[in-house]
Amino acid sequence: MSGAESPTEPGTETDTHVERESFVGSGLERVEDHRILTGEAEYIHDIEPENTVHMALVRSVHPHAHVEDVDTSAAEDHPDCLLALTVDTLKEEYEPMPCGLKGFEEWSLADDKVRFVGEPVVAVVAKDRYAAEDIVDLVDIEYDQLDPVVDPLDAREDETLVHEHFGSNVADSETLDFGDVEGAFEEADNVIEREYSWGRISGVPLETAGVVATYDPDHDAFDIDCNIQLHTLVDDTIYEPLGYPPEKVNLEVPPDVGGSFGTKIAIHRYCTLAAMASQQLDGRPVKFVEDRIENLQGGDMHSSDRDYRVRLAYDDDGTIRGLDTWFVDDFGAFPHYPVNQALKPLSVVTNAYDIENVRYDYEIALTNKTAQTAYRGFGVPPHLHALEMVVDEAARELGVEATDLRRLNLIQPDDMPFRLPTHNIYDSGDFPAALDRIEEIVEEREVCEGGLLDPDVVEQKREEGKYRGYSPTVHIEPGVSGSDWTDRQRTDKDALEARDREDVSELPEHFRIELMEDGTVQSYLATDTSGQGHQTLVTQLLADGLGVLPSDIEVGYLDSVTAPTEYGTAASRMAVMLSGATEGAAQKLRENCRKLAAQREFGCDVDDVVYRDGGVERADGSERLTLAELAELDSGQKNERLTRVSYDYEHPTTSLPEFDEALTRKFPVYPTAAFAANAPIVEVDTDTGEVDILKFYSLRDCGTRLNPTIVDGQAHGGLAQGLGAALMEEFEYDDEGQPQAITMFEYLLPSTKNMPDVELEHSETPSPFTATGAKGTGEGGMIDGPAAIASSINAALADQGIVADQIPMTPHRVRKRLRDGE
Amino acid sequence: MSSESSSQSLDRPTEELTLSVNGETISTTVEPRLKLSDFLRRECGQRGVRVGCEHGVCGACTVLVDGKSTKSCLTYAVQVDGAEVTTVEGLATDGELHPIQEAYHQEHALQCGFCTSGFVMATKELLDRNPDPDKGEVKEGLADNICRCTGYQNIYKAVDRAADELMEAPSDDLSDRTGGGE
Repeated sequence: MSGAESPTEPGTETDTHVERESFVGSGLERVEDHRILTGEAEYIHDIEPENTVHMALVRSVHPHAHVEDVDTSAAEDHPDCLLALTVDTLKEEYEPMPCGLKGFEEWSLADDKVRFVGEPVVAVVAKDRYAAEDIVDLVDIEYDQLDPVVDPLDAREDETLVHEHFGSNVADSETLDFGDVEGAFEEADNVIEREYSWGRISGVPLETAGVVATYDPDHDAFDIDCNIQLHTLVDDTIYEPLGYPPEKVNLEVPPDVGGSFGTKIAIHRYCTLAAMASQQLDGRPVKFVEDRIENLQGGDMHSSDRDYRVRLAYDDDGTIRGLDTWFVDDFGAFPHYPVNQALKPLSVVTNAYDIENVRYDYEIALTNKTAQTAYRGFGVPPHLHALEMVVDEAARELGVEATDLRRLNLIQPDDMPFRLPTHNIYDSGDFPAALDRIEEIVEEREVCEGGLLDPDVVEQKREEGKYRGYSPTVHIEPGVSGSDWTDRQRTDKDALEARDREDVSELPEHFRIELMEDGTVQSYLATDTSGQGHQTLVTQLLADGLGVLPSDIEVGYLDSVTAPTEYGTAASRMAVMLSGATEGAAQKLRENCRKLAAQREFGCDVDDVVYRDGGVERADGSERLTLAELAELDSGQKNERLTRVSYDYEHPTTSLPEFDEALTRKFPVYPTAAFAANAPIVEVDTDTGEVDILKFYSLRDCGTRLNPTIVDGQAHGGLAQGLGAALMEEFEYDDEGQPQAITMFEYLLPSTKNMPDVELEHSETPSPFTATGAKGTGEGGMIDGPAAIASSINAALADQGIVADQIPMTPHRVRKRLRDGE
Repeated sequence: MSSESSSQSLDRPTEELTLSVNGETISTTVEPRLKLSDFLRRECGQRGVRVGCEHGVCGACTVLVDGKSTKSCLTYAVQVDGAEVTTVEGLATDGELHPIQEAYHQEHALQCGFCTSGFVMATKELLDRNPDPDKGEVKEGLADNICRCTGYQNIYKAVDRAADELMEAPSDDLSDRTGGGE
């Protein structure tokens, strides 16, 4: 594949890496840590230029209402009020925000109707946030309340419409058949049909969304600092509403972002409002940082909220022949930008199982709730939960162990790379071995005297009403999205069918390096980061690639105007794409350095120069130039400098014909299949309904581990979020459309008291598709944790016939099922 | 420091306040409703104080007030009149990380880092109070803080490592400044 050439070049490069310990593959300590630990990190709330003023938002208290009148006069009379911005000004001077589906363009402030509790109606600006919040209370809004649309299943037929002009509360729907679905369900010995549901859950990063926007009247342009995710890709959601071209709206993300997990992709409303306010105030910097209540109730950051009906066709011998999933996803008031998370599960539609015939049928429902955004796993976790639950139930119907049914249907290592019926390809892996190993670990360590699953202890606990169990599962984590399948949702479906492979645009990763005259290496990422250690990863790769020390490397960031529009940090993508880009750039720089030395200093053939140990030498060892000397030598160049290179690493699918069909058909393509075999040991207290995870065993494979410490960190964090999703977290709404989780007293996040000891083991099956063999692994535990925990709950409560059919399985829900079963 | 602090508005009430922040005595005038978290960040330049929830659940804003871990978002600045406040900026000395900070670094006990100041300060109080906590005591001691990235495993390891380090070097030169243990 282009961009992934071997770094080895005959006769010249082979000795670059010898005699040095490799930084890649070691758990290099993070270069990000020192500034964070000493309070010197720069998050968005630390950014406050001189004369900054502060914005606060007046938000709807009703889920659905006509806005009859907005009176800002009392607010404007407040001595500290600098601006009260209403939708009228927006409509006079600006544009609406783009939405994931055409026809749902949204103004940054509510226009005519409010459609969810927390929707911003008026923006006010004052000297400080305390005053701004005082002024919020002085805005008088007259509403004419409408019936709310709350239940997504009912919403599909509801006469009350969230968007009258659209004529339906179903924003989008599609049925996709792969293989002979009808045949499979007619011919199979058995068909089981069940319903499952997945609650509104999201990332809830510790840092909320924030922005500092400054309009520059002299250049008629904007500078916007914000903690948006994917700032070079989704910048259109900001410059379009402002009505400016991209080069006039410069987005920068601070070097430190306090978590995102996908959720900050959709914070453009705040960015546009702050920018508009700054323009209205002739260029005073305007700052807005969401408070936690705003974040939880109206921050456009909830995620998948699905009701599933799943059918499985299987034979008496356990062979699964067909899978049919239908779901309704409650997208809330607007089908926001990442609508394609409804489709991402197609990339792992049968999980680790070999199932030939698949139907995938979805409807996106609109209701009077906060709109959705992306969240770690991007729609995959609910799908895996529904699939695993129906497999567990099929095993019960057959009277076999769920693990045996799983094992029978797993994709075999000999079948790798494996093409799914939905055309995505799993690159490598041995799923049966992973299942065997995790089972073996638990058998050896816990199903024994003194273990958590010591049969005597299990029996004794059961007499106390505490039911223990575990059920090993294997899950695939699709990694490294990049093709423009996301356009599917914005493109006319007929036009889509006419597209060729050549029409598919890929999204490479961009990276730059520059040699400095002091001998250090300055590099630039074209994306943003939020705790994944990208600076450390790049430092490791460059240190190896250039033969220098990590301390000689600086890693900075490009703003949205300087960086090419590319993809960036999402979809478990960066370790793979950044490593490819970094290696490619390092190779290019090494070659340039040889060329520079040969032409400008040694006066010899390029082939007679080798790059070695952070410098270049004549092959006979007679002369040597250090990086500092090379930079100096190059500094007089008027034209493009050889010591300044950029590199675009192409997405791994680009040149592989295996992916042509998926790319042409615009199905989601995720070319790496990291996977995990999990065995959480659960204990259900049948008196309280509380589920306690006693220990979490996890065997994980993400191909080559570039930094094992960071890989483990991602797994731990993902599993904690998976535990929260499975058992605690949910944005519930009452029947009137009022949000019930608007503080962290209601939206419950796992703390030290909930998180068990996690025991990780790794295998390494390098990807044959990626430059470094790495597979994407940033979303893992959140993708596989909930389904794994639910399966273990099923095992613990098998005698009662109870299935964890609803996520989260809160104590109340577990108790209700136990009561209903009694 | 913000160029226009809330305390300068003409029609807002103010109160006198004197306290010590990381060993430095500060006397100033503030609005009674000014939160300690905002006071420390804006008026004292201690931006390591992180504001995550502003209702006392996440613990990102945890600081030590007379050695006791305190959620600065639930505390008004005027409530700590006369107290000694320590923030994460008060731990490192001459560029050398405090053993707790070093342990967090070594054990990869931070990712996005937004919760980290609060965890480090909660750990400081815990180890001042109980230099050799067992796993249950560590979990109990940090239960008021939320981390969304690390899954806590590495934080437990960091606390263990810090405890070992501090027990080997018992003369913690910071105990005086922070009000010490109990």
